[in-house]
Amino acid sequence: MKISKVFFNGVLKENPTFRLVLGMCPTLALTTRAINGIGMGLATTFVLVGSNLVICLLKNFIPSKVRIPAYVVIIATFVTIVDMVMQAFVPALYESLGIYIPLIVVNCIILARAESFASKNSILPSIVDGLGMGIGFTLALLLLGSIREILGAGTWFGMPVVPGSFNPAVIMILPPGGFITLGLVLGLLNKLTGETEQS
Amino acid sequence: MSDSVKMVIKLFIITAVAALALGVTHAVTQEPIRQQNEQAAIESRKAVLPDGEQFNTVDISQYQNEYPGIVEVYEGRAGDTGVGYVFKIVSKGYGGDMELYVGISASEAKLTGITVVNHSETPGLGAKAADPEYLEQFIGKPVENPLNAVNGEPTKDEEVEAITGATITSKAIIEGINDAITLYNQVLKDGGEGR
Repeated sequence: MKISKVFFNGVLKENPTFRLVLGMCPTLALTTRAINGIGMGLATTFVLVGSNLVICLLKNFIPSKVRIPAYVVIIATFVTIVDMVMQAFVPALYESLGIYIPLIVVNCIILARAESFASKNSILPSIVDGLGMGIGFTLALLLLGSIREILGAGTWFGMPVVPGSFNPAVIMILPPGGFITLGLVLGLLNKLTGETEQS
Repeated sequence: MSDSVKMVIKLFIITAVAALALGVTHAVTQEPIRQQNEQAAIESRKAVLPDGEQFNTVDISQYQNEYPGIVEVYEGRAGDTGVGYVFKIVSKGYGGDMELYVGISASEAKLTGITVVNHSETPGLGAKAADPEYLEQFIGKPVENPLNAVNGEPTKDEEVEAITGATITSKAIIEGINDAITLYNQVLKDGGEGR
């Protein structure tokens, strides 16, 4: 597979949120604001690239019967180290992203890519796959976060963007709004790409 | 060596390396993290009481039962004069404990600032409580009476706006601030004759 194809596979064709429908917990919980989407997306991308790299390097060492616990240990270790290092040396960045870091451990995109890609491919495609998937996740969160922030709070990245007469629908930034937005966007994308459940 | 023994050994190696990596990282980052927290604590005291230059701890152990939420109290001084007090308060929010600093000016009997330093409130909802834009409304509020959170625009002096969709968080903030106000009025006011 060509490298660029691997990259765009993650961004579009197998977009983790809209195509694979993975990592729904952080997606629904965090997309109340556009900036949250960016923060969570970039932090996930970083961990995804790192864990894909480590798991790819260790793929011949890890016994296949216990690969899942091995992956979980590696991912959790990686995330915890990132968390501690950021807190110690880049406190400003940690302040804005810190709350999302522990959530990355439970994001199944990372385990899914370790299992289905990094453990079967060589180093470069694994890194590119992590990058593509991470960017696809970031864009999806940004889209959902933007829709919910504009409709639910009347702002985008904290700036007011709707006329004063518009009364924000607070439900959009509450949990039900997350499900509504995700469902509608997923449906719309399926309609646009003509991909319906055929199997 | 059988396969299952190999498997156990390999898994053990992976976890041992992970534990070692975490231990080393912890040892390296422990001191910088402590310094960061300490620096942040000093700055957050100054943030809520801008006139203060040094901050001396006030012993409040005898009021601990009455005000369990108040963790620490500092007297802010500028040179020889006391300019006010900073209260470190832990209040039960929606997602867990919230840590806030409340500053009260002694000469004006007003709130000089509130900051939320630690919280685990819902991002986008309760987490707004930590935004300076939200906390700004508390600055300059008189401390004669406890504050009240209302939905929509506040009309009275002791009223502040609650956060939409985060009732418990708003309540936690107000209760924490009111603890500080009550302790200030009962014990610390007028040069702190009560202590």
